[in-house]
Amino acid sequence: MRLAWRIATLKNGFQDATAYRIEFLFEILGAAFVPAAIQITLWYAMFKVGGATEVHGQTFLDLLNYTITSVLFTQIRGGDLDFEVQEMIRSGQLSNYLLRPIGFLEFIYIRGLAPKLFIASLCLGAGILMSPWVQLSPGRLFGSMLLALIGNIIHYQISSALAATAFYWEEGYAILMVKNMLVSFLSGELVPLNLFPESVHWVWKSFPFYLYVFGPTQYALGKWTHTEFLIQLGFACIWLVIGWTLIRLTWGLGLKKYLSLGG
Amino acid sequence: MAITKYLEIFRVQAKNNWVREAVYRTNFLTAVATDIVWMAIELSLFSVIYSNVPNLAGWTKPQVYFFLGIFFSSDALFTVFFMRNFWNFSDLVNKGELDILLTKPAHPLFLALTKSMSVAAVFNIFLGLGISYKFSEAAGFAGGWKWLLVFAWLMVGLATAIVLRFAFSIWIFWTERSWALSRMYYQFFAIATKPDTIYPYAIRYFFLTILPFGFIGSVPARAVLHGISNQEAIHVFAVIATFGIIDGFLWNRGLKRYQSASS
Repeated sequence: MRLAWRIATLKNGFQDATAYRIEFLFEILGAAFVPAAIQITLWYAMFKVGGATEVHGQTFLDLLNYTITSVLFTQIRGGDLDFEVQEMIRSGQLSNYLLRPIGFLEFIYIRGLAPKLFIASLCLGAGILMSPWVQLSPGRLFGSMLLALIGNIIHYQISSALAATAFYWEEGYAILMVKNMLVSFLSGELVPLNLFPESVHWVWKSFPFYLYVFGPTQYALGKWTHTEFLIQLGFACIWLVIGWTLIRLTWGLGLKKYLSLGG
Repeated sequence: MAITKYLEIFRVQAKNNWVREAVYRTNFLTAVATDIVWMAIELSLFSVIYSNVPNLAGWTKPQVYFFLGIFFSSDALFTVFFMRNFWNFSDLVNKGELDILLTKPAHPLFLALTKSMSVAAVFNIFLGLGISYKFSEAAGFAGGWKWLLVFAWLMVGLATAIVLRFAFSIWIFWTERSWALSRMYYQFFAIATKPDTIYPYAIRYFFLTILPFGFIGSVPARAVLHGISNQEAIHVFAVIATFGIIDGFLWNRGLKRYQSASS
């Protein structure tokens, strides 16, 4: 019974996401290729137009490989589930779920996970197909995808904890917007994080966001050793515990304050 | 006579929006705070790039910051008057809310596009101009009467954003959901956050003709900093006019297809 509702939710989430197939395809293509195209043109401007030969020890080809490989993981990292959760708290729809014999946050997560798993398998396939050109080994790709999926869970945990601000504040979405902007910058989705000046590396290392895109990309490209990868996997597990604690705290406090009025 | 009527409608719409925003004061603060973070991230991104190279496709760091200031102002202008209306555009068709507008003695499109305003974003217009002003001297901007030229080009940026956003929204008459196209608009919009000269010729042509996102901030900044040829100026106006004509044609075709969903 406990497994049955989870499988049913996963199935339902997949059907829901792909009900409008063209929209689903547009979203993947838009979210994957436009940011990558912008990054590539930046490298083009720096190296081909500007005449640079090396930036922070990285050549044009290194940065190109980074951008192409990072696309495989940018599609796994996020989602708008936190906005949905925040809106449910604000509008009182949360009550419908509290009455059911399921974990609310787990239910929302599993429903949103289905299309991510589908995209992850597509990205894995794409990664294996392009491996001869970008020098990716299938073993490292699987490891990277695992890290990206753990990153997806951490992201949801942090987002859900932040969405709990809706218990106290009408405009909780603003915090989620700010979080999304920080994530896009500090996850390595816009530029590789090792391009940051050394003096500010502590900024991105202080958050788990680098585990979403930068980390998996570094491992897939062979820039991280297996030992480094295992250490980072350990950090990811610590962040999972922190995320879980944050949810317990914020939702524990928030639900005590929650009032749902109306019929 | 007609102009007076439309100005009066616009005045009433603006007044209603002002009153609404005055009631939700925290909304004002959160909107401003969110935009400040977004601006900070865009500035930081270029800060990271310029920590590695002295110039980017001929643009120095102050010139790029000057461009970003203009881009932020141009975008804030769009946000103040139109953004919310475009987000609500799909509801007009899907929920049959267009019915009410069609029965009013004014052009339904005018009513649809001026109904909601985000007064909070007014602050960002000045913030963007402030950023441009701060870097104007270092960027080599002549200043003086040329600030009037900045305002004229901001209007060009605004007109571009309107016709482009409309072109991405109008398909709601033919599709049931339009959020993927709206998201795609914002994916392409990210291209407008970079100077157009960094792009290779084919991509640059695309974003100066087919989807002219470059007119929102990059071309205006280039025009006031270095000037543009008459041929390019004519090209800018011809492209915007063509988009306007196509948008008008699609609106009329869409209206013919529209079936009321309301009771």
